[in-house]
Amino acid sequence: MHIFEYQAKELMRESGIPVPRGLLATTESRAVEAAGELGEGPWVVKAQVHAGGRAQGYFLNDRHVCGVVFAKTALEVGSAARSMLGSVLVTPQTAAQGEQVHSVYIESAVKTPVQLFLAMLVDGESGQIACLASARGGEEIETAVREDPHLLIKTSLGSGEPVLAQSLDFMGSQLGLNDEAKAALGQLINRLHALFIEKDLSLIEINPLGVRENGSVIALDARITADDNALYRQSRLAALGVRSEIGSVERIAAQNGFNFVRLDGDVGTFSSGAGLAMATVDALTHIGARPANFLDIPPVLEVSRVKQAFLLLLSDERVRCLFVNVFGAGIMRCDTIADGLLLAHLEKPITIPVVMRLAGTNAELAASRLERSGLPVELVPDLAAGASRIAELQSNPVESGATSGGWRRLLKSLAGSKGVGAS
Amino acid sequence: MSILIDSSTRIICQGITGKQGTFHCERAMAAGTNIVGGVRNGKGGTRHLGVPVFNSVADAVGATQANATVIFVPPANAADAILEAVDAEVGLIVCVTERIPVLDIVRVKARLESSSSILVGPNSPGIAVPGVGTLGIMPQGIFKPGCVGIVSRASTLTYEAVNQTTRNGLGQSACVGVGADPVVGLSQSECLQQFLQDDETKGIILLGEVGGVSEERAADWLRDQVVKKPVVAYIAGQTVPEGRRMGHAGTIIHYGTGTAESKIRALKNAGVSVVSSPVDLGNTMADLLKHLV
Repeated sequence: MHIFEYQAKELMRESGIPVPRGLLATTESRAVEAAGELGEGPWVVKAQVHAGGRAQGYFLNDRHVCGVVFAKTALEVGSAARSMLGSVLVTPQTAAQGEQVHSVYIESAVKTPVQLFLAMLVDGESGQIACLASARGGEEIETAVREDPHLLIKTSLGSGEPVLAQSLDFMGSQLGLNDEAKAALGQLINRLHALFIEKDLSLIEINPLGVRENGSVIALDARITADDNALYRQSRLAALGVRSEIGSVERIAAQNGFNFVRLDGDVGTFSSGAGLAMATVDALTHIGARPANFLDIPPVLEVSRVKQAFLLLLSDERVRCLFVNVFGAGIMRCDTIADGLLLAHLEKPITIPVVMRLAGTNAELAASRLERSGLPVELVPDLAAGASRIAELQSNPVESGATSGGWRRLLKSLAGSKGVGAS
Repeated sequence: MSILIDSSTRIICQGITGKQGTFHCERAMAAGTNIVGGVRNGKGGTRHLGVPVFNSVADAVGATQANATVIFVPPANAADAILEAVDAEVGLIVCVTERIPVLDIVRVKARLESSSSILVGPNSPGIAVPGVGTLGIMPQGIFKPGCVGIVSRASTLTYEAVNQTTRNGLGQSACVGVGADPVVGLSQSECLQQFLQDDETKGIILLGEVGGVSEERAADWLRDQVVKKPVVAYIAGQTVPEGRRMGHAGTIIHYGTGTAESKIRALKNAGVSVVSSPVDLGNTMADLLKHLV
């Protein structure tokens, strides 16, 4: 789970990590007021979104404004806040459609002669906590490291035990810091490490980390991602979980625990398991069909959630046909999928062709229910056949839809289904 | 011979009395899997699914000489369940549980370093050796004893490869889901190593997905091997755009890895046949094996 910069800085401040003074504003007038409360300018006005690259980003309604604005006067603070609030910011790190800005963070501007890059994250390869640092702080870090990998200093911090003094010393020396700055960085890394473990974080990134002439350090930006799987024991972090999805489809998907990504095509896809869902999109694209989305629903027993997923796809006006690819295994059974589709049809009659590949647990039961329902669903034996059929439908669209006779059969078949009672 | 388990493996299930444990153990036992007991603290001395239940892994190992365990324990207690099995010196630990906090597994990994136990997972569909049995949640009835070893990070995609190799008659020597979490026990490389050494395995299917460095490392490892077997790979997510990113650290920690392109390039350099569509896994493997004979 991502949290906003101002929330990350609040956590850091509590852990004794130096951050600039800042105030949050959700209106232009509050932004101007906040600037006054912070004292003399200049200030920085920062759009609060769950992504970095804000200084390189732009707003959809005003491409000349980016997500981080330096303001010399309170008037400029107000004008920056006005441009940002309610607008959609696109940065190299957001999804293509961007993220809507609901709040801005106003800080007293801090200038430091040295700006570092510092990050802490779990390294999947070693299975340990890794610390990354570079003397080249700023948004250009990726390019800089690509051109010269030596600019990135990487140290393992172990598996949760206190950080070794020699690791801290190594980082400081590699970054070319003097003794004062080295000591300050060492203390900072120790505190970040404690925060990382205490709060079950999966990423802390400070870019840039300012180093002043006197060697003291200050986190000028802050990014924190918390481990979703640990939120059950991190109630304070869990309460910060605000979704910032732009589209209502994405929002509904997130609320239901569906993994949904909007794509450019017109074939709705439905799958369970991230791997198979990706494979479904890949197989369609490979054969020249154009998926409208990626959808991975978690293994569920409740037919009501399956119905919800189908309604979500059917609410997308771009979708001209539907491809369902499910391998029933574990608690996920194919008959639940079939029942979910039939229930969705009762709520919003399906008028587009549906091609289904159902394999694994209760695939035959699902097929017989679908057959009895009279809903014009085409069952295919495997992924290859399904993808070909979809490609055919896309190049040669046919009209489809349930007849009134089909409706009666559908209701009858549902009456005999256990899943309906369970919903 | 097969990998990780054979007909002499004595398996216990941690969390056998739970809904998931019951569901999957019952099916596995019906298909012949040698499950000799279960663990559920507080239910020691009772019987479930016809096998004895113990209060601890140590008790279970003492009474049954179990050398493998499959874990269906809720996320909050799963890491402790793994460590209990490590302490009881169970050789093979398969953890099905998903949504375990990653720092719990970081600590588990540190403990595994000094033990001889192998951890498969977490967030793994488990292991299936056709004709021997299944540890985990892989569906019964889709496997066929045969010559293809399958190693995968994604669970449902694994069944796709199983299905294709069953339908074209090749069958499987073993099928291992190493787990979809960022930190897992047995790596894809280590699993490939087992398959290369296994006589029954004539060809290998490697299923990866975008993100992480697992496939690149597996490719690096394969490239250096003297013994060769045909390997077919598919990387899921080639056409799914990257979603929102948070910062730069995830990108630069292992620069130039993690994307579908980097994985495919590394695998091709190692002599692996990479298919661009998952529908071609089975037939590509069949073609490669035909040329061998």
